[in-house]
Amino acid sequence: MNLDDLPVVSQVFESGADDRVFDSLLLLGPVVIVLIVLLGRSLLTAVLAVFYLGVFCGYVVYRGATFGS
Amino acid sequence: MSGAAATIGRDVGRILEALGGLMIVSVLVTLAWGEYFALPALLVSAVVPLGIGRFLYRRYRSADAPGRLHGMIVAAAGWLFVGLFGSLPFLLVAWSVELGVPIVSTPQQTATLAAFTNPLNAIFESMSGFTGTGLTMTDDESALPRTLQWWRTFSEWVGGVGVIVLTTAILSRPGSGSLTLYESEARSEKIHPSVVSTVRTIWWIFILFTFGAILTLWLAGMPIWGAINHAMTGLSTGGFSITDNSIATYDSVAIDFALIPIMLLGSIAFPVHYLILQGDLRNFYSDLQTRWVFLYMSTGSALLWGLLYFAGPYETPFAALRYGLFQFVSAATCTGFQTAVDATNVAIGRWPSYAQLTVTFGMFVGGAAGSTVGGIKIIRGLTLAKGIRYQISEVFYPESAVRRLVINGRRLNDEASSREFMEAAIVFVLWVTFLVVGTFVLLLALPADDYTLPNVFFEVASAQGNVGLSSGITGPDSLPTIGKVTFLFHMWIGRLEIIPVLVMLRTVFQRGGLYA
Repeated sequence: MNLDDLPVVSQVFESGADDRVFDSLLLLGPVVIVLIVLLGRSLLTAVLAVFYLGVFCGYVVYRGATFGS
Repeated sequence: MSGAAATIGRDVGRILEALGGLMIVSVLVTLAWGEYFALPALLVSAVVPLGIGRFLYRRYRSADAPGRLHGMIVAAAGWLFVGLFGSLPFLLVAWSVELGVPIVSTPQQTATLAAFTNPLNAIFESMSGFTGTGLTMTDDESALPRTLQWWRTFSEWVGGVGVIVLTTAILSRPGSGSLTLYESEARSEKIHPSVVSTVRTIWWIFILFTFGAILTLWLAGMPIWGAINHAMTGLSTGGFSITDNSIATYDSVAIDFALIPIMLLGSIAFPVHYLILQGDLRNFYSDLQTRWVFLYMSTGSALLWGLLYFAGPYETPFAALRYGLFQFVSAATCTGFQTAVDATNVAIGRWPSYAQLTVTFGMFVGGAAGSTVGGIKIIRGLTLAKGIRYQISEVFYPESAVRRLVINGRRLNDEASSREFMEAAIVFVLWVTFLVVGTFVLLLALPADDYTLPNVFFEVASAQGNVGLSSGITGPDSLPTIGKVTFLFHMWIGRLEIIPVLVMLRTVFQRGGLYA
């Protein structure tokens, strides 16, 4: 079975910026938030949140730097 | 029913169906927090719009696609009904607690929740939420059940992008009509050739940014429930809070500064966000509206900082910067989060008049068209400014001269520039007219000497600009009934940029024989 065939995943892949990194961030967002809700504020959840935001911001900059090339 | 009424009935029915769906989704929050006393109220609230919407849609399913007139009436009527039916959770949960729910334990009634047993207060809260205004009928938001805290937040989050955009995204149907409805909700720019694809991308961007905003606020120190709610209302530039003193409750420099980029994201047009995510970062400065969002916010904040520090209430440059920058961005993005309250420093209502008027000007203009903000929008302000300059300079050119008005890279000829200038001028004149009329009504309705003219002007501009900052007038007891009705109207026309509401009222009066 292909990932694209799953109901929510297929809609996320079809919409948006047509980029698998951003699509993955969109799908992982609720997972990170649920983990924070369940585990509370800890080093692990803080690192996860920083990592998520770091990937998002870093990837925007990367896309900008490589735009048109 | 005539063809036009069937078309309108069918599309309003779709919007009501979507509203019912939002209420059903919210049941998850009720269950998660174990607020079982709110469950019957929320389910009944969902069934009513869902049932009416389903009936209208099935009855008029084969009606014609909407034209421009229908689209405007659907937008105006849709937002009005969403405001009305969206009040049901407030009303029914408040009455559930007032009367008690059998079998499950019901909490003690609070003065804050009891205010919603008055239907007008419930409608006010709902309309304020969906229009992204943020003025509230609650005395203490933290005393509300989590279900209602969530419903307030959710209504702003959905309303920020637009209920019609939501309806188009999830209940899209093949064929024409979607574009007309999309444009009737004060939107024009498209990301993709297909409207359905465009609105789905808008939601994709909005949801992704919401996750980012939640994590940013949580890292800044906000508890996760607060981060979820404030990220949603901050990004949608709505401004509802779940705490008694808005963002001032946290009294945290990190949270104040973390919210500024979130509010700014909400005031940039979605097509620009899309291009930036594609890697075209030049849009930060090459897009006229985005460039001006930053220029305008920087200039306004610097001015307010100067006024607050050199002639105002704050003693240190940093305090003036912290509160001035946050409040100007909050006003100009039409968010309405408040950090300047008496509990932590000096409330906006007690700022010097010139500082209040500076914030009022911020609310008046707003952010970029195509974003989640209110106000007259930056592009209209620029069109008016450039148009006035163009008209005046015409005298200095020979009649044979061929001139072009350049707006956002588009070179407009005489006819096109006149049309765009006229459209912007009409909205501007209507905006100011309703602002002045509303100020008069409030001055008559409020007890004499309780509020100053800047206070009243500020509050009316806040309602009409869908901002939500308050100089202390809005409240379940402080605002008289006539004031609540006036503000309901202002929030409604402000969200739709006035004209669709006037078109709907003209049509209703014409059909009713009240208008020749």
